[in-house]
Order: sequence, then structure tokens, then C-alpha cells
Amino acid sequence: MHYRSKAYSLFAAINIVFLTLLAAAMTFPYLNTLAIALNDGQDSMLGGITIYPREPTLDNFATIVKNAAMIKSFFISVSRVLIGTFLALVVQFFCAYAFANRNLTGRTPLLIYFMIPMFFSGGLIPTYLLYSKLGLLNHFLVYVLPGAFAFFNMIIIRTYLYTLPDSLQESARIDGASELTVLFRIIVPLCMPIVATIGLWTAVAHWNDWTTTLQFVTNPDLFVLQYKLMQLIRESDTIAALIRQAIESGETNIEQVPTTPEAIRAAQVIVTTIPIILVYPFLQKYFIKGVLIGSVKE
Amino acid sequence: MEPIANEATAPAANIKSDSLWRRMRRDRAFYMLLAPAILIVFVFAYMPIPGILVAFKDYKVLRGFWGSEWVGLANIEKIFVLPNMILAIWNTFWISLLSLVFLFPAPIALALLLNEVRVQLFKRVVQTLFYLPHFLSWISVIGIAYAFYSIYGPLNDLRVALGGEGTERIMFMAEQSMFVPNVILLNLWKEVGWGTIIFLAAIASVDPQLYEAAHMDGANRLQQAWHITLPSIMPTVMILLILQLGNLFNVNFELIYGLQNPFINFEVIQTIVFKFGIQQGSYAIATALGFVQGIIALVLTIAANYGAKKASGVGIW
Repeated sequence: MHYRSKAYSLFAAINIVFLTLLAAAMTFPYLNTLAIALNDGQDSMLGGITIYPREPTLDNFATIVKNAAMIKSFFISVSRVLIGTFLALVVQFFCAYAFANRNLTGRTPLLIYFMIPMFFSGGLIPTYLLYSKLGLLNHFLVYVLPGAFAFFNMIIIRTYLYTLPDSLQESARIDGASELTVLFRIIVPLCMPIVATIGLWTAVAHWNDWTTTLQFVTNPDLFVLQYKLMQLIRESDTIAALIRQAIESGETNIEQVPTTPEAIRAAQVIVTTIPIILVYPFLQKYFIKGVLIGSVKE
Repeated sequence: MEPIANEATAPAANIKSDSLWRRMRRDRAFYMLLAPAILIVFVFAYMPIPGILVAFKDYKVLRGFWGSEWVGLANIEKIFVLPNMILAIWNTFWISLLSLVFLFPAPIALALLLNEVRVQLFKRVVQTLFYLPHFLSWISVIGIAYAFYSIYGPLNDLRVALGGEGTERIMFMAEQSMFVPNVILLNLWKEVGWGTIIFLAAIASVDPQLYEAAHMDGANRLQQAWHITLPSIMPTVMILLILQLGNLFNVNFELIYGLQNPFINFEVIQTIVFKFGIQQGSYAIATALGFVQGIIALVLTIAANYGAKKASGVGIW
């Protein structure tokens, strides 16, 4: 292992340089977007913005943050993350706990029941027609109900439950604890690490999702923040409307209109990604743990 | 619920001799815990499946499912006649193939390079930077690309700096020829770092004695990487490859749809299903297209698993 030849030392040095450049190249686009978001829109059009703003301004953010529709979609996104994550955790944890009982009658058929949808699905249009029949189109529940069960997450929780010693539960039962007491007073507190992992996982997925809105929601009152970003990127009339609203409400000076579509888009990217960046230190730790638990085969 | 708990802890021999009904009664608390999951899976995963039959009907919303006429395979035949459908199927296949060629080996190579880094702090810092884009939504990634590629963005700045003042600034996002490379590039940017985790874990679990023995026999680091590290992570590589092959017909809808703009003409199966089905209401033909895609994906998964088992003895089932 500690073999050190000249050729290898050279390789090691080149490797470090290469990885440094790669890391810089991968970080640059985000920092560039941040700089554009913080820079005067008209000034950005001269080019030359790298990773710091040349004419710092918060106008681009003000245009977004003070927009009523944006504020509404922010609350929709947050409610969706909170409710959706809580619901998914409850459903998946209960299911995993039942499956962690190796003596459960009908365990194998039930497991197969949950596995089949991994191979067959109705596809988008049958799903759309079903939601339409169930009244889920343009309903908040379409964000939180269909995703409340994920087979993979359930298996990860179950794998974690297997690692808890049986003697803990047994001694509690001998002391007269009921099945529910065992679950809520002993198992759940011990499972906090895996609950945090799956919880963060689910929360990020909820926060980042916009296709559900695209496919099943047309009511602007239910648009999520990521969907608004998509509109700003794909639809030039949406961005024009946003700038017009800002001018009408006095956020932006009509004389010079400092915000440009590019600057607004950059600011919106930052607004939608900031929550992720803020919790990133936790995300990294818990997500890696999740990937590694998930990769362990039964 | 207490009697249930007492029975649950009874010796296994008793459990076997109990009748099915008694055992189910004993487990009723567990069934209650399973109920929400069973219900959600039934409604949202099983109930849409019969809807596939819409693909074999001349589906009219006003007449409903039962009122619409059966048309056999007419909708599926249409898919293979309409030129934009054939093109979309081809594009789906093309993007998948390129993704497999460029995106699959990249994290393995990066993991091998990261594994050679001995300075732990440096390794942690670059890993943190590599993983970050994975947590951003696809539409944010596209937004970042718009900033980076914009007429006055850094890429055009660089081209002007290198090519002199007269260099024409290009709208990269509006260039048809840049669309496919962009799909691959953005995918690489977002996921290459994250993809290394599983391979780094596989590398870390290789027995260090193997390296010591190879070193004794005079193998250099490159030979060790080639003859020990790579073969050791091969089972992991194979499993992930099978999973990838199964996804060969599932291109990233978010990325393709998000990157489309009025200057771009590039459709894949998923974007056609969405536009035909939901935006235009041609439910039958969109369902038929989705159905064909599902069948192909299923066949590919089974075939890939079979092939991998034959070739290396590793399979996912």
C-alpha cells in the first residue's frame, strides 16, 4: 500500500490538480448564477460577470420576493414538504414495522403485492384519468397522497429495524407494555436516525418536484415554487408579466427597468435552491447513509 | 392488544400448528399498521393499470370508458405510422444510449481517482462540491444552464476572450445541434459526483490484504487498481448496469421538457405522451405510446438481468 514510485507521485499530483479543476468547474455555474442574481440586470448584459456581482443590487430578488403569486407558491411548496413528508414517514414506518415482524402471517404475498408496481405501472395517461375521476386534479392532495408510499424507503426502514435487538422489545413486553407502547415508546425513539434520513430524502423530493404540478394542476393558486421557475424559464410571457407587475407596484423603476429576464431567472433559481443549500450539510451526511443502507442486499 | 403480544412471543412450533385464521387474528394489529400503505399502493399503483385498456379504445371523454368503442390495435399501429412518433421513439433510444455510454462509466472513473487521493481533507472538500448539484431540482439546473450559456454569460465571454472581439455570441440554448450534448452534459454535471458514492463504498470494502499481497509480488498502483480494485467492484458495477439497462427507455422527462424552447425541435416518448395526452386530450394514442414504452422497458429489464446472470452470475433477482 505504501508503495511510492516517482511515476506514482507524478500521477498523484496530476490527480489532485485535475480534481481541483473539476470541482471548480462544477461549482462555477452556480456561483455565476448567484452573481447574476445579485447584479444589476442591465449591467449583466455587458457580459463579464463571473462569481461576484459588479453592480450589487437586490432588485432582482425584490421583484420575485414581493410578488403575491410567488409568495403563495412558496407557501404551497412549504406546506407540501411538511405535510407530504410527515404522511410518507408515518405510512412507510408503520409498513416497515409490520414487515420487520418475521412471523407476520402472509408476509411474502404482501411483500409481492408491494413489489409488483415496481415493474408494472399504468403510465401517465391512465393515472391522469384516474386522478380526474377521484377529483385529485387541481387538488392539494395530489401533491402528498400518491407519493406517500415508496417501496425502497420502506425496505430501508425495515433493514434498520432488523438491527435493533429483539431483547429490547421482549423485556418491555414482559414488563407489561402493549404493542403500541412498544412501538411508540421504544422503537420510534430508537429509529430517529433512519427517520431523519428518509424524512430529509422525502422533503427534498417534495421541494424539488414540479412535474406533478405540470401534469395534474392548472389552478395558479396551487402552483409550487419550482413550477413557477419552470414557467419563468420556458414561457417568456410569464416573465414579462412578472416584470410588468413589479413596475406597476413600484418595485422597479420604469425609467430604466434594471431587471432583465436573465436576472429574474437567476434570482428565481437562487430562491428555489437556497433552502436546499442551507440544509446541505445535513443532507450530505444523511443521504450518503441512506444510499449505503439501500445498497445492502438482503 | 395485550393478548396478541403474548401470543406473538410464543414459540415458533405453536405458531405453525395454529390455523391461518387464528394466526391472522393474532397479527391484526400489524395489518392495521399495513393498511394505509396497502390502500395507497392499491389506489395509486394498481388502479391506474386497467386504464391501459384505453389504448385499445377509441376513447371519448364524454362517452367514458365503457361507452367508447374497442378498436383493437389501431392506436398502436398509428404510433408506428406517425412520423413524429417514430422520431420520438428514436430520440428516446438515442438519448438513452448516449447516457449509458457517457454517464455510466464517468462515476466509476471519478471514484477510482478519488480513491487515489491520500489527503483526507482535500478529498472531503471536493466530494462535498461534487455532490451538491444532485440536490438541486432539474429545473434549477436548467435555470443555471440558461445563465451560464446566455449571450452575455461566461461561456460566450470565454469564447470572445479566446477568439477576439469579432467572435459571434451564440445562444447555446437555442441551437438545435447543442440540445443532445446539453442533455448529456447537464446530466453529467448533476449526477456524476453523486454516482461515485456507491463505487467508493464498494472500493472501501475491498480486503486490504489483497493490495499487500499484490505489492509483495511487485504490482504497482496502476496494476493494483486494474487487477484488484476493478474486479472487486465488478458485482456492484453489474447490478447498477442492469438497473440502467432496464431504464433504457425511461429518459429524463424533466430535463428534456425543461430544455425545450421555441427554437428546439426535439421530442422523446415522455414529452409526446404529455403533449398529446394531457395538453391535447388525445388520451388513447398517448396511452398506447406509454404502453409500448412500458413493454419495451420491461423486456429490457428482464433481458438485461438474464444476460448479466449468464455472463457474470450477478442478477437483481
